[in-house]
Amino acid sequence: MNESFATWLLLAGPLWAAIGLYFLPRMAPKRKRDSAVSEHDLQAAGVVGGFALGPVGIGLFYLAPNLIRRFTLAAGITIAVFIAAQALVRVSDPNLPSALWLILAGPLWAGIASYFIPRRYRDAEAIDTNALTAAALGGFAIGPLIFGLTWKHTPRISREWIIVLGSLGAWQIYTLFAIHNATNPCVAAPFHLTYLTQQTANGVVIGSIYSLMAVGLTLIYSVQGVVSFAHGQLYMVGGYFSFYFLLHAGNILSELTGAEVSVNPIWGIPVAAVIVFIMGAVFERIFLKPMHEGLIERVSEYAILITFGFGFFLEYTTLAIAGPFPQRTNRFIEIRRFTLPRTQITDDFFFGPIHIIGDRAFAMVVGIVLIFALLYFLQRSWTGRALRATSQDRQAAAVTGINPTNMNTLSFALGSMLAAMSGAALIPIFNWVPWVGAEMVGRSYVIVVLGGLGSVPGALAGGVIVGIVEALGAGCHPDPSRGAAYKEAFALVIFALVLLLKPTGLFGREHN
Amino acid sequence: MKRKSLFIHCLVLIALIAVLPLSMVQADGHCEFAEDTVKIGGLVPLSAPGAVAGGIAMSWAINRAADDINADCGITIDGANHAIEIVIGDSEGSPERGQAVVERFILEDEVDAVTGVYHSAVGLATMSMLDENGVPTVFSEPWNDNVSANGIMEYDGRPPRNADGVDHVFRVSPASSMVGGVVVNWLIDLGVGNVVIIAENTDYGQPAAADEYARFEAAGATVTQINVELGTEDFVPILSRIQASAETPDVVRVLVTGETSFNLTQQMAELGIAPTEDTICVTNQVAFQSEQYWQNVPDGNYCAFNRVGIIPSLFSDTAVELNDAYFEEFEDIVPSYAMASYDAVFILADAIERAGSTSDGAAISAAIETTDLDLSQGRYYFEYGNHNPELPEGTPAFMWHQWPDPVVTMMQYFEQGQSSLDAAVIYPAVYQTHGTDYITPGSSP
Repeated sequence: MNESFATWLLLAGPLWAAIGLYFLPRMAPKRKRDSAVSEHDLQAAGVVGGFALGPVGIGLFYLAPNLIRRFTLAAGITIAVFIAAQALVRVSDPNLPSALWLILAGPLWAGIASYFIPRRYRDAEAIDTNALTAAALGGFAIGPLIFGLTWKHTPRISREWIIVLGSLGAWQIYTLFAIHNATNPCVAAPFHLTYLTQQTANGVVIGSIYSLMAVGLTLIYSVQGVVSFAHGQLYMVGGYFSFYFLLHAGNILSELTGAEVSVNPIWGIPVAAVIVFIMGAVFERIFLKPMHEGLIERVSEYAILITFGFGFFLEYTTLAIAGPFPQRTNRFIEIRRFTLPRTQITDDFFFGPIHIIGDRAFAMVVGIVLIFALLYFLQRSWTGRALRATSQDRQAAAVTGINPTNMNTLSFALGSMLAAMSGAALIPIFNWVPWVGAEMVGRSYVIVVLGGLGSVPGALAGGVIVGIVEALGAGCHPDPSRGAAYKEAFALVIFALVLLLKPTGLFGREHN
Repeated sequence: MKRKSLFIHCLVLIALIAVLPLSMVQADGHCEFAEDTVKIGGLVPLSAPGAVAGGIAMSWAINRAADDINADCGITIDGANHAIEIVIGDSEGSPERGQAVVERFILEDEVDAVTGVYHSAVGLATMSMLDENGVPTVFSEPWNDNVSANGIMEYDGRPPRNADGVDHVFRVSPASSMVGGVVVNWLIDLGVGNVVIIAENTDYGQPAAADEYARFEAAGATVTQINVELGTEDFVPILSRIQASAETPDVVRVLVTGETSFNLTQQMAELGIAPTEDTICVTNQVAFQSEQYWQNVPDGNYCAFNRVGIIPSLFSDTAVELNDAYFEEFEDIVPSYAMASYDAVFILADAIERAGSTSDGAAISAAIETTDLDLSQGRYYFEYGNHNPELPEGTPAFMWHQWPDPVVTMMQYFEQGQSSLDAAVIYPAVYQTHGTDYITPGSSP
């Protein structure tokens, strides 16, 4: 196939696909097709037939529209992909391995599949909950084969399927990466496994701490339907309460004992928790309660403004009291970093060493313990169940004797407390300044939407996913000079994809 | 009896009232001020995302300079003493905000001169406005090479520059190239061959990194540059990448300012990347604030850093006084940008006095060009300007209206928790305090 022919094919394919998309549904004689051939089938046939075989394909489906219901469509799709990919490969780089065609065609097939498959489900009146996600991931991962899997029958695509297809897609990206950026530490043997594990561990460690903060945000939203814009500042004041408690407790103990005593930052966590819990409860009672009692007209705007205002108040009050200079507490543990030693599995295959900063590992454990404690509280205690009941249906909860007003206060206080605890857990790790919450809160919004607004397990999973994506993105970006600068953008790409494919988030409820 | 007592009380009261105005003059240091004040605008970052700690230090220094000058009867013009009035504006570290503040300075506050500016981006955005409006300006901290003649659109690169739009902007902080030259020369002298530069994505970080990159490459070193966003907290993923590289770097050079540099340096140390026996850590000049540095970078012993300004052991009396006052206020050692801001107010006050006018911007700027003052950072003068417009071949254009003598040294901590007053000055050799140009981690000089 020479280059000019390939170029012609590339140009002609989309042109004929567009013609097929427009004309076939309008021109195909109704008498010749059975009732099961829908408008969308004809559109699909027009695109695929036109793209694969040009006017011949359109003519074929015009004359025999029932063919769409048979294997013809899959065959046409395969031919189209093959031709398009070959043409693309030849035009872009004649030396590129032909095996890449599927990878190059991934986004194209993701687009085609996400257009047609959900429509197919709806035409067949089948459950289409995950159809869009499955179609996009499947199209990307296995190209036209996704049509074969889903066209004839309309199975309910489970979460496991999505994970499998998503993993296949990720594997394709990885393969593409390995071919094009062979020296990248994420793919360059023999260190790549160690490096990938190192970055994944970095992501899991920091992601667990992100989760703790995001869990508080999602808890408030699930019960009150309010997105707290003061969450970052509550996280910040949690750190400062811990800092000042440790400072003064250390001074008092030093005076009493006559020797220099420093208090472990772990004690700052419950102190910050108690203070911010009370603070959150008082704020909710004074400023948010009227909203639930119908005393405020524009509830949504009010909730945004009042929490924003609370956040500003906290930030600038802290700036006035604590000053702008960065603060940090002592370590949780006197181990600078853990190193998992190198393990030789075979002569050519080894693993390690992996380094994890001691305080981060400790903070991760604190974060995970607190999240599981919260889950236990929500699942097993009466109050926790009452909170969940209120989040599901306030009126029904009230009928059963639960006081929704108290649940509102409790949820805001608990959510604020979790933010403060994550702040207190992180002040030995990061420098603390009054505006430290700004970056974290932005990330928390991403996490809760990614995990599903109102879902605690979703926030946990979302935090870890964001952590891993940021770490791998920064660590694997082909250009090391840009990887770190784009760190937050990687999580936003995942965020955008999830919003596009599954607007309710990974663990979100369909209806709130 | 009662009447007599009342009479005495009245007499005492009258005497007190009579003495009161006299005592007020005494309190003012015998100075009588004219009604008109000399307004100086101080453009500093006081809110995030700007370097708030830096802004507060600069603001303090600007106000302190005004207080000191006013205590000495202010600025004398035509025999009348004029007090200095400082108007502080918050740039937030943002060019747009900086421009808005300068507009307010010019139109609303009607300032006679301007000083301050921490961020290069703010300096670059505001200098044309200040110049076009004829406001004599002495920048005290932006480092970007283009914060001077280079950055003015109208400048065509050939002196003289009269009426070319570069008449009113001066700088007493060093240009990035002046600092970069010292750092790179020191490292090349040490024989480094594999360099990692971590630079912030700002108008300071990127040009500074480009300058040092070029110098290292010219010296035959291999350089990897990593850009980061200012305000980032977690650097571990990108540091793991450095750790995974096939060759251990000889040096990691941090071109990141403020508290972000503290986070980066601490995480670098925690991961065991630098400072180590194999890898030199060169962190940002904020490390000179030893109280803050040790609180935030407890593992940063043996990190080297560039220091702008006279070394502590050579502090003049003015610098010692300023340092003491700063320590009393902030419990730390006075940073160079606070010293430069302090000195900048004196330079402006001196020029206004010599120009004999508060409103004639051209006369004041001409007077600044002929400055010759000994202040906290040393002797101030401006070698090139309209008074001496011919830049010799090879002299960079940023030397126009640039104080040519900021002392740039390399310093290094060698004890945990050490005060920067005791840290070793390691380069240039003429300033060395411990007879060595590098202290290997684990050893002592």
